[in-house]
Amino acid sequence: MIKDIVIVGGGTAGWLTAGILAADHRAAHDDGLRVTLVESPNVPILGVGEGTWPSLRDTLRRIGISETEFVRRCHASFKQGSRFNGWRTGAPGDFYFHPFEAPPNPDHVDPLALWRAAPDGTPFAEAVNFQAALCLEAKAPKQVVTPEYAAVVNYAYHLDAPAFAALLREHCTAKLGVRLITDDVIDVLVEDDGCVAGLETSNNGRLAGDLFVDCTGGKALLIGGALGGAVRDVSHILGNDRALAVQAPYATQNEVIASQTTGTALSAGWVWDIALQARRGIGYVYSSRFCDEDRAREELSEYLARVAPAGAVAGGDARLIKFQSGYREAPWVGNVVAIGMSQGFVEPLEASAIVMIELSAIMLSDTLPADRAVLDAAARRFNKRAAYRWERIVEFLKLHYVLSERPEPFWQAHQDRNCWPERLKELLQQWRYEPPSREDFTDALEIFPAASYAYVLYGMNFQTQRRSVLRRRDAALAARRHVDEITARKRKLISGLSKNRELIEHIMTRGLSRV
Amino acid sequence: MAKHAQLNNIDHAELRVRTGYGAALGDAAMWCPSFPHEFRNLQPYYPIVFSKDAATGGFRPLALFGLEDGENLFLGPSSDWGAEYIPLAIRMRPFLIGRSDNGAGGRQMEVHIDLDHPRVSETDGEALFLEHGGHSPYLQEVSKLLAEVHDGEQGIGRFSALLEELDLIEPFTLDVTLNDGSQGRLAGYYVIAEEVLYNLDQQALGRLQAAGYLQPVFMAVASLSQFRGLIDRRNKRLEDR
Repeated sequence: MIKDIVIVGGGTAGWLTAGILAADHRAAHDDGLRVTLVESPNVPILGVGEGTWPSLRDTLRRIGISETEFVRRCHASFKQGSRFNGWRTGAPGDFYFHPFEAPPNPDHVDPLALWRAAPDGTPFAEAVNFQAALCLEAKAPKQVVTPEYAAVVNYAYHLDAPAFAALLREHCTAKLGVRLITDDVIDVLVEDDGCVAGLETSNNGRLAGDLFVDCTGGKALLIGGALGGAVRDVSHILGNDRALAVQAPYATQNEVIASQTTGTALSAGWVWDIALQARRGIGYVYSSRFCDEDRAREELSEYLARVAPAGAVAGGDARLIKFQSGYREAPWVGNVVAIGMSQGFVEPLEASAIVMIELSAIMLSDTLPADRAVLDAAARRFNKRAAYRWERIVEFLKLHYVLSERPEPFWQAHQDRNCWPERLKELLQQWRYEPPSREDFTDALEIFPAASYAYVLYGMNFQTQRRSVLRRRDAALAARRHVDEITARKRKLISGLSKNRELIEHIMTRGLSRV
Repeated sequence: MAKHAQLNNIDHAELRVRTGYGAALGDAAMWCPSFPHEFRNLQPYYPIVFSKDAATGGFRPLALFGLEDGENLFLGPSSDWGAEYIPLAIRMRPFLIGRSDNGAGGRQMEVHIDLDHPRVSETDGEALFLEHGGHSPYLQEVSKLLAEVHDGEQGIGRFSALLEELDLIEPFTLDVTLNDGSQGRLAGYYVIAEEVLYNLDQQALGRLQAAGYLQPVFMAVASLSQFRGLIDRRNKRLEDR
């Protein structure tokens, strides 16, 4: 029987996993699962402003947190996608969007036919969908009358990670029946069969459990430390290994709150810019091979001078974070499952961290073995799925770099095809003749669907040959009708949606209704 | 367009207000706002539902008179209203509530009037002012009515907020098939969530009770049987046509 789950680590990964398991498996009831979370009193949460995917809305509803409370407590703002500045050439006007809304159904109209039917010079994302236009106007994704978690247009959030962990902790312990033990784990007791029998703690003695979840971040106390699982290093593909993170205030209380994460390319990496309610989280992700820390701080200062109020903050104020992109090929070993940074971490481009936590915790919850006899089968299934996802993430992130024409050594190094994943090479070859399709990404819960690849490819000016034999979905007439529809929808949404800041202020003062 | 003015016995000395009810008097509306303290009187005739305010996102209760925009099934060929109890918000027309400083730091209620309302006349209807400027008995009644509406309006926010907090509001859709076979759908309104209401714990019930909302909530639930009444009225119109 599997009855006792012990989660080690109280960051976003630990508390999201606890919340999902406890809500799904009725931890607040005697006949439900027992969920215990051990949180060290001494480990600070690694938290910068973080971006998420729209899946978080379902996850929060699943664990029973109100959206109003979430937005208020986590200083959250609404995210409708990403904007990439200067990734192709760095010239003025070089930017593209990767919005959450997909182009129209490709069975009805081919995205490239649609793009060609739009007025000359329209960027791909603006031709095939209305959401980039909403981002350019800093629009909210819903109205004040839209119920909690419902959307007018698809959206996720920017959030303050430590505040998010605090909200989850309170909700899990007060409402969902999660037992919190504030203590340090000093030893992991491994049995002969490779399963963990219990944890030795400083003040609470030995904690036994049937299944352990390692959410201890980069330390990987159980999966790495005690069980010795190996990490697959992908730093030869994604070479960024440093981040300089800083918080910047808004110039005025009424400054626009951007509707997307903005990633701006610099000489040896890129800067994230994440708008929260009262401040922005900004950070330079770079490769130490191409840039030393002093130079990186200077570049960050130059960026801040362009976008933040004069004198408010500079590169010297930033906190340095070192990392290496990689993931565990076997995040589930015996009765230990790694979720969060203990499972893997790649650079923050495209905000994969929290969505990977959600997907892992949901899969663990949905497939939680009833008995230890089926642990190994569950582990095999989980590991296969996790490896598939990490491979896709690495490929998709790499795609952002390989199409760049920037001259700096960092960007030129990405042109080296020896560091391109094989599958990405094949797909890029294929995409010269046809756009990304769902046949390229066949998982039922694909993190980045074909549309995401199309937004990046055509945002970066990738050329797909024009077909000489036309299919029904290439028909120009139908494409023009879709262009008209998108234009009309765009106009309607721009007039019907308020600014991001106005919606957030409404939520702060009045809240959203649940129905 | 509405043209609002504070009522006074100089500019408006000659004004009269047409009473009675009819489409020509501006009553061809599908609903009017309602107030919890009148739910008991409303429920024998009108379904009480909620709508969401587009500006604030908050809920407010309505009394329904019809099944589609502009339809008021309580109007007939005569100038009578087809029910014993007429909602406050209908009876107050064409008057409005204004507020001004009372000089002591507070706000006082004033009687305003919509001068463009079809009820306003200089030739027929009830006089507002007496010959030397005093309030007519009709205007005195109106003042009392407005005071009642004002009190009701003050409580709407608290009422809706508590219902929302207790999850007592749910979306509502009604598919209607009339005797002539025509079909329609009423959507976009909200009603009291009965399942939730019947499973409230003692503490939640106590809060409704203490706030004086327990009776209105049950009256709103009871009022939903009046959808049958609206459909019957509509079918009757089809026959009479």
